[in-house]
Amino acid sequence: MNDLALQKIAVSGPTLASMIERINSSPGDTDGLLFGDVASITPTTLSDDPSQTHSDSLLVATISGFLCFNSPLSFYDSAGRVDPTRITTHLNQKTLIGWFSSRRKTPLRPSMREFSVTYSLYSIPNLSLPIQNPNFSFNFRPSIFLLFTTPLQDQLIHTNQYRAYQFLSPKQCFNPVSIDIVNIGPAFRGHYGSFSPNSALPFLSCELRNSTAMNEDRADSYLSGMKQAAKDQAELDMCAEGMEIGKLSQLMGPQAANYTAGLEQLYEKMLAKIESLSRLVEASSAKVLEQENQNRKLRLKVARPTGAE
Amino acid sequence: MSSDFPPYISTQLHYLLNHFPDKLKIENVWSGSKHYSVTLDRFTLVIPYCLDTIKWDIIYNLEFPLAAPDVIFGPDDEDFHRFLMMPGEGDRDSRSRAEFAMSDWNNKDPTRLLALIKELRDQYAAYQRWRAGEIDDDRLKFEISTIMTREGIEMQIISGADKTEEVKFGVPLMHMNINKLVSACPWRHPQKIYLQVIYPVARKYASAPSAPRLKLMSPPELKALFSIDDVKLPSWLDGMCMAEYLPNLEESLGKQVFEAVTLIDFRRSFIEALAPLFGRPLEADPVFCRKATFLATSGPFAFLVYFLLSTQFPKQQPVLMLQSTQHFQSQGVPIKSALLSDYPWSPRWEVSQMAERIFEFLVDEALNFKRYCNESQLQH
Repeated sequence: MNDLALQKIAVSGPTLASMIERINSSPGDTDGLLFGDVASITPTTLSDDPSQTHSDSLLVATISGFLCFNSPLSFYDSAGRVDPTRITTHLNQKTLIGWFSSRRKTPLRPSMREFSVTYSLYSIPNLSLPIQNPNFSFNFRPSIFLLFTTPLQDQLIHTNQYRAYQFLSPKQCFNPVSIDIVNIGPAFRGHYGSFSPNSALPFLSCELRNSTAMNEDRADSYLSGMKQAAKDQAELDMCAEGMEIGKLSQLMGPQAANYTAGLEQLYEKMLAKIESLSRLVEASSAKVLEQENQNRKLRLKVARPTGAE
Repeated sequence: MSSDFPPYISTQLHYLLNHFPDKLKIENVWSGSKHYSVTLDRFTLVIPYCLDTIKWDIIYNLEFPLAAPDVIFGPDDEDFHRFLMMPGEGDRDSRSRAEFAMSDWNNKDPTRLLALIKELRDQYAAYQRWRAGEIDDDRLKFEISTIMTREGIEMQIISGADKTEEVKFGVPLMHMNINKLVSACPWRHPQKIYLQVIYPVARKYASAPSAPRLKLMSPPELKALFSIDDVKLPSWLDGMCMAEYLPNLEESLGKQVFEAVTLIDFRRSFIEALAPLFGRPLEADPVFCRKATFLATSGPFAFLVYFLLSTQFPKQQPVLMLQSTQHFQSQGVPIKSALLSDYPWSPRWEVSQMAERIFEFLVDEALNFKRYCNESQLQH
């Protein structure tokens, strides 16, 4: 079956920026996987001209996440053959729509291996994403290839360049696709209409308990209540730091005056949680960097001809 | 040049440059590493193909020395990728051409880069043949089918700015090994003469197909023995095809090359005939005998005589140039005469007579040259 050509690839500014940041900070060439979604969108261009018909819907891929391996040849071999087992371990219910490659100071066109990898990735069964539409339905295969390079000569202003392609099967060729950077602002409000938070507050069964728990005479219900409270507390700890589950009750009930203070306290504790998470990330990043430096030394040692120092 | 490549790359690169059957050039070298930008790991390779060159970027990765290099082909060869994904030919296994070329990489094996480039260049030739075969033009289809079996023939599709297409054939002529004909041959690469044939692709409903453009090509070194610019190509008759045209051309060209080889010996005997009159040459070109320099005197005036012999010698007389050993210009450059080629000459003379007549001519010319030297020096 013929593939449908994408009209554009949308990526949010922060996602693209963090990709470029990862690429720039990696010691050499690198690559990674692209996750996201593909949807057909009916454009809402209002026009008074009745001769124009808008029956065509646009096929748009949205890159919502990525995984950078910090090295080339991460999920394929020198000949460009993809190892499916090295991809599926990273999927975790995310949808793979393609991959990216970054190489410094090289021409901005796909290389021999990049073509092979794209072809191989495209050909893996069971990785396609079903697209439903009133007019048609088909399976979108992971066919997007995003190429990042830097200019051949060092330049002060123009430091990175990128180009997106879609691999189309019948002709077996790369079709250039334009990239649409989605930013926050009125022009892009539509893109956030379907926004759903990734880490919502957990659903807690925070029923209004009688504050005098001592009145409970049945020990087993008391125990199960304790258990439930501990479980809820653990879930809340994932989002906020040092917030007691009991204090959430301040957000309900008759004492409306306490709402503001309670909510502020909740936000404060959530910020504290983020703070401590970022400290953790910082510490582990330092460890990762140390390990990477170690790895690089080992690699260079292996490459050195025997006997030479 | 390659001193700044890490050892595992430079070993493979040197092996490639020394063992590739054609003359390769490295056009550009640079580094893709963030931290060690003085250590190089990528370069542009200029590869001769179909009487022209193709440029490929070879991308090694300093940070990942065990990984095979990647190749970026020219901007006009996007379709080559698709061709490489097709299954290989003949008794090879079912792997694609690209997989075959890249398989079994080993950064410690100095021959691997050579094997990769050779394989890819062969594939590129097959790709261009395949493209030419896809063109819907009856005359081209016929030419390709009759000439395909010729060894070493290469094709290339040239796209013009105005969407016109042409197919270029690089046809190696004659099965003779010119290098072997020349004793003490200094050429590292085999010298071949090629006929470049460029066919315009016929537009549908066009009138009679026009004749192809023909041109002889050879490596520049061959000029020392034989200049293809002197060859007059037989005319291309209406309705002719290459299989008809080539045998005549090859026959006449073969004769001319043999003659050029025998002329080396004639030039040598001429230079030897100069020795009794001028003394032993100061220096002489021992392989092609195109140049010889003697020291001559006219009374107390000592000067050098340069003999420059063309490949058309003795039809063309030698060009002489005199250089004083005693007169210098202000920068210390010795004063030289103009090129002298207007003196009595007959290609039918014996070599000894040629030498004598030049000697006689120079007896008079030396006086003119001495006067000229004195005058030039006075001006400074």
